[in-house]
Amino acid sequence: MKVEIDSFSGFRIYPSKGKLFVRGDSKVFRFSSSKNASLFLQRKNPRKIAWTQVYRRMHKKGITEEVAKKRSRRTVKHQRGIVGADLAAIAAKRNQTAAQRAQFRVAAITKAKTDKKEKEVKKAKPTRSAATGGPKVSKQGMKGSKGR
Amino acid sequence: MIGLKGTLNIIDNSGALVAECVNVLKQKVNNGWGSVGDEIVVVVQRARPVSAAASASVTAVKVRRGDVRRAVIVRTRKPVRRPDGRLIRFDDNAAVLLNNKREMLGTRIGGVVSADLRMKGWGKIASLAPKVSPYSPPARLLT
Repeated sequence: MKVEIDSFSGFRIYPSKGKLFVRGDSKVFRFSSSKNASLFLQRKNPRKIAWTQVYRRMHKKGITEEVAKKRSRRTVKHQRGIVGADLAAIAAKRNQTAAQRAQFRVAAITKAKTDKKEKEVKKAKPTRSAATGGPKVSKQGMKGSKGR
Repeated sequence: MIGLKGTLNIIDNSGALVAECVNVLKQKVNNGWGSVGDEIVVVVQRARPVSAAASASVTAVKVRRGDVRRAVIVRTRKPVRRPDGRLIRFDDNAAVLLNNKREMLGTRIGGVVSADLRMKGWGKIASLAPKVSPYSPPARLLT
């Protein structure tokens, strides 16, 4: 069963209903009722007649509810932890006062400085020992050959 | 709904442009009115002028004004009911000229023709036409 669409009003045309009109330029128009056919032949513009589908679509009739629903759904916000910082950590950071934050910063800087000094001290010793000491092994010996 | 004195456009390339109906060939129940697919007798009222070159060639079958010919109706302004219940209506009345053996005089058709022709035994005309009006017969007629 094929349901046609009215070319004036956009109504559905079920089998056994309606009228087909073939114009001189061999364009085909289908009408579900004589009302539609008459208005078409009077050359009325379906965009200006309130009950046609074209008019209703143009003036956004009968689709307001759906739009409102979509918008309300979109505005909902949710807080989640992201990689490397869960929700508790983020909240703690956010609730810090300025003074606290400065304090933390100073502490971090001093800690970094001391760490750096220690590292330099540690580094100085092993580099010297590597240069002077170490067993004498030829390159071939290092690779695993027993030598001749 | 074509009767005596009804005028029709001739849409083949036989040379005729407008013809007037002078008789509708009888069928069981046409009551003197012809519809799509009915055969009629027409008088050619207006025809394309016959050039000298065209009249010289052997194959040309040109018609002149005043010729009496057979024709078959292919479009009507009067709505015709289809077997599926729909009505179909055209902007004008039109016909195609025939010879005595019910064959087409012309070789081409310019314009849309009704799909009812195929049902009524004029399949050749429907197939020659550039466009046939949309038609979907019900399932019980297809088998």
